[in-house]
Amino acid sequence: MVYGNGRIHLSVEGTKSLKKSFITMQSIVSSYRTISFLTVCCVAFLLSARGTIAADEFVFERDVMAVLSKAGCNLGTCHGNLRGKGGLSLSLRGQDAAGDFLALTHDLAGRRINRNAADESLMLLKPVAGVPHEGGQRFQVGSLEYTILRDWIRAGSPGPASTSPPVTQLQVTPQHKNIFLPEDSVQLEVIATFDDGTTRDVTRLATYEAENLATRTSANGLVEQDEFGETTIAVRFLNEQLAVRLAFLPPSRSASMALPEPQNYIDRHVFGKLQELQIEPAELVSDSVFVRRAYFDLLGIPPTGQEAQAFANDLHQDKRARLIDELMNRPEFADQWALKWSDLLRNEEKVMDARGVELFHSWIRRSFAEGQPLDEFVRELVAGQGSTYENPPSNYYRPLRDPLSRGETTARLFLGVRLQCAKCHNHPFDHWTQDDYYSWAGVFARVDYEVPENKRQDRLDKNEFVGEQQVIEKMEGEVTNARTGEAATPQFLGGEASAVTPDASRLEQLANWLTSPANKSFSQAQVNRIWFHLLGRGLVEPVDDFRVTNPASHPELLEALADDFVRHRYDVRHLIRRIMMSKTYQLASHGSNDEFATTNYARTMVRRHSAEQLLDAQCQLLGMPSQFNGYAEGIRAGQLPGVLRVRLREKAPSPDDRFLTVFGKPKRLMSCECERSDETTLTQAFYLLGGESLHGRLANSARLKKLAEPTNSSLEIIRELYWSALSRAPANEEMNLFRRQLETQPEEREQIIQDLAWALINSKEFMFRH
Amino acid sequence: MMKLPRRSVLKIGGTGLLGLTLPKLLQASEVSHHRPRAKSVIFLFQWGGPSQLDTFDMKPDAPDGIRSPYRPISSTVPGMPVCELLPRMSQQMHKVTLIRTLTHKMKNHASAGYYAITGHEPPSDDQRLRDSLSLYPAYGSVVDRLAVSNPGVPAFVAYPHVIRDGSIVPGQHASFLGKSHDPLFFQEDPNATGFRLPELSLPADLSVDRLQRRRSLQQLIDQQTRYLDRSEKAIGFDQYYDKALSMLTSDRVRKAFDLSHEPEVLRDAYGHTTYGQSCLLARRLVEAGVKFVTVYFSNSIGGRKIGSGGWDTHGFDNSRMYKIVNKYQLPMTDQTLPTLLIDLENRGLLDETLIVWMGEFGRTPKINKNESRDHWPQCYTALLAGGGVKQGHVHGSSDRYAMYPAEHPVRPDDLAATMFHLLGIDPKTEVYDRANRPLPIAEGETIRDILA
Repeated sequence: MVYGNGRIHLSVEGTKSLKKSFITMQSIVSSYRTISFLTVCCVAFLLSARGTIAADEFVFERDVMAVLSKAGCNLGTCHGNLRGKGGLSLSLRGQDAAGDFLALTHDLAGRRINRNAADESLMLLKPVAGVPHEGGQRFQVGSLEYTILRDWIRAGSPGPASTSPPVTQLQVTPQHKNIFLPEDSVQLEVIATFDDGTTRDVTRLATYEAENLATRTSANGLVEQDEFGETTIAVRFLNEQLAVRLAFLPPSRSASMALPEPQNYIDRHVFGKLQELQIEPAELVSDSVFVRRAYFDLLGIPPTGQEAQAFANDLHQDKRARLIDELMNRPEFADQWALKWSDLLRNEEKVMDARGVELFHSWIRRSFAEGQPLDEFVRELVAGQGSTYENPPSNYYRPLRDPLSRGETTARLFLGVRLQCAKCHNHPFDHWTQDDYYSWAGVFARVDYEVPENKRQDRLDKNEFVGEQQVIEKMEGEVTNARTGEAATPQFLGGEASAVTPDASRLEQLANWLTSPANKSFSQAQVNRIWFHLLGRGLVEPVDDFRVTNPASHPELLEALADDFVRHRYDVRHLIRRIMMSKTYQLASHGSNDEFATTNYARTMVRRHSAEQLLDAQCQLLGMPSQFNGYAEGIRAGQLPGVLRVRLREKAPSPDDRFLTVFGKPKRLMSCECERSDETTLTQAFYLLGGESLHGRLANSARLKKLAEPTNSSLEIIRELYWSALSRAPANEEMNLFRRQLETQPEEREQIIQDLAWALINSKEFMFRH
Repeated sequence: MMKLPRRSVLKIGGTGLLGLTLPKLLQASEVSHHRPRAKSVIFLFQWGGPSQLDTFDMKPDAPDGIRSPYRPISSTVPGMPVCELLPRMSQQMHKVTLIRTLTHKMKNHASAGYYAITGHEPPSDDQRLRDSLSLYPAYGSVVDRLAVSNPGVPAFVAYPHVIRDGSIVPGQHASFLGKSHDPLFFQEDPNATGFRLPELSLPADLSVDRLQRRRSLQQLIDQQTRYLDRSEKAIGFDQYYDKALSMLTSDRVRKAFDLSHEPEVLRDAYGHTTYGQSCLLARRLVEAGVKFVTVYFSNSIGGRKIGSGGWDTHGFDNSRMYKIVNKYQLPMTDQTLPTLLIDLENRGLLDETLIVWMGEFGRTPKINKNESRDHWPQCYTALLAGGGVKQGHVHGSSDRYAMYPAEHPVRPDDLAATMFHLLGIDPKTEVYDRANRPLPIAEGETIRDILA
């Protein structure tokens, strides 16, 4: 096969004589690199791997389809769009060779192809911009792409042949490489293996998509990058794809870096990669930063002033380890995880009703309080049947009213797979096919509901449900595969074809398969979520987007964590302790915020605290309870079981309800971490500057009033506020300035204390986890 | 970000410009393929659904039971008659383009409303279409995301109602684009005396001076954690404080919201209604540099009484359409819309400001048993003016009863593409949803025929 660039590669499977003729050709090509000659080679060799050298034997699905992908014709933004573009509709990224063949040869009464004058064919004039083409010029006259298409047309535009072997494997070299200056580029080589065992070099016809905007890959697979940093390149040829990880780095240093002594295997993996990439990790955090992190991450609230001081004054070596254990036994630990899983499990009032929300939330909370292993927790959810009031985990299926959304949600939450792309076409960035999608949905085909009575208040609202439901599994029912129009055979996602016994309880089988220690997708997805919670970024990121073209930043660490988790019987506390005890977790956020260093955990990511955390922290500092519609005073934001207990039409949301919305509490309609927003917005700034929620609380805080009493010295007041708000003592310049403020304007003492509290609440230290 | 030394790279700072992160700048420069014809859009959303047959697509020759009880009157453009209840509007028709063939299939307010204010067909025709981050953002949020906005001025302002029909209609916010692209939204009544934007007003005991003092204390504390200044999020938030404070203390935005600067006679001309003063405010906002202003006609679909609510005149509860629209919706429209067009023109703003007046659907050509009309999405009229659309032009025509498009049907998607095009934003620009799927901001085609 000749694919331009003077690079010639032929199948190793060819006959001896073929090999010989190939070698001859190669030498000829290298001496006469003319387009016309290349053309002859292309034609002659398109099928040479099979040993037949007939000009008319083009393999449409291999040669023409590769060009359509290479030139980007079949992307979703172009003709791969559901509705096509400019009248031509191709299958997305070339999933349907037969359909594309018809579109190219038969639509428009065959006007796209002119066999008598191939160069005049519309399908050649358009991509070279010989006639106006909205997509611009895709390749040049005489390019390899052009030549293949033209010669295919000249050969009579033969259609797909059922005998053409599909690609079974891609091999890219290098698969992973660190490139140190002065080296500044890397040449990829892509070898495709076909079903018949033949292989060929497809470097010139593979497509390359880099995740990093600064990366450029030439048509020949030469990768260059404008910035130091890592990139993932999705390499695709026909239906196969895989990801290559590259890092472009400054000149290699001879001396090795002084890395901290690893605390456990996590550090060995993380520091090992930092060593490779020559990134120096940040220092370990101070006690005052650590204690805040630990409280927020484990309990969702900051330490009180006393707690922070007690930790600072503790002189024992093992105080961080002890703090982690202590905190994990506090009730707020369960609150925190109940909140998190209530988000993911869509625990909200319209669909679950207020009582259902309460019951589901307490069931989740109890599970974490009692330390139920996570596999059991998930088993109860996915196999959950019976009354949604009496067996709360059956609420898992209450918002998921059809097999497709049950399949999508289960894949996303428990396998970390975003499957919805495969509903309408094969997943463009992963190996999941449309058939996989419907077979997986078939596992959930028989879930049904017995509904004694829906006491909904708005009879026009099909989403609203008030009352008990029975989740049941029927004895019949299948999902229709939208591609074939036939009933899909139930199959676990990525599992064996025969693994599901269709007429036994599919949910029970699902629960067994899903949570089996052999199911690495499950354990990896779960440790990734816990890691994300603690480090702010998943090893696979986004946290529920495991796919071939989105590899983990530290694949071996992910495996090690998953193994550790399985070995310790899916014990969430064990895993949390392991992660929090690592030095990786305890690194400071200091230093450059270079994306590159952050994604490799060389320093801790700075994140805004969540809506609930911010509100609870304000309330704790000011000693004022929060107020939510429908709840007794005193419940913390982080303890709220649902989203909004009182409907908006009955009562306007309270200032604290609004605060949560403005700061990104999710509505719980998506089963995705991504629904919770940690964005910062102008509206939030307005809320904090003059909004009633904070302003009212400052003005009425009994704690601030008490602090203002004349018996308290300004030194005491300032120290008390700093420890309570920021878990640290005031710095000298802070102390001096605030003392001056308090002491020079004694008549405004109360106001100044309020202002100081406001300033502390609005400081970056208070707002951000760092 | 460290650079490889041997190459020159894009010289665009990550966070230097307020709110403009690198990808946004890149996007912004990529999407402006052409000079924008409109600097701003005023989107006047007629909630409830006005009748095409009783406004701008009269069918005087239709039989009883279809024909409007009102007569058409001629306008400043031959062949563009309007309803006799719109006499002032009839004198401004040379400024407008009518699209008489807007068409879609959503019969419920929630789904049709979502379609009208986002340009994207909803997943189902549902009376209580549920809002979620998987649905599309409001037009203005897309503009906020993609257009280069004026510093210190919000790009998207929406008011004075949350539209709902039993539940809140999706599409009124930024959805998956993220909260930072939500509109500056308020429900205060611009017609009320002492109207002020709540964001721009402070509690009584919180003076601007005190606010400044708080801000300086906050900055002092932040000096202890200078390292946080390297976090884009943290800096971004700090810049929001500055922006909010400058909006609270500087004149530009506050003044834009202060209608008391307008001469009484002009306020009278717009009409002393929430809608009328909202339209006047819209003009002030585009003058101040706001890119997209959405004015909602009403909070409810209304239609059962005079004096409040929208255009949804079914004749329910023994009400009668032709005893309501002639006293409320039509007179208010005839007072406000022509005034806005004249006012914009007088100030030289009409050329650069696109006005879009439309509802979520039209109404049934057949008059029902309540002597009223029901929902009709198959064919209805949108009115556009200024901002690069033709003047005195009609696009498409409906059949003899205004029941179906006779030629050149237009989907809301096409209208969306046209609006973006006029703003200089390529309608094929893609944005990413929460599943990271690339989605075009408009699926339709720009209506070339109406471009001036």
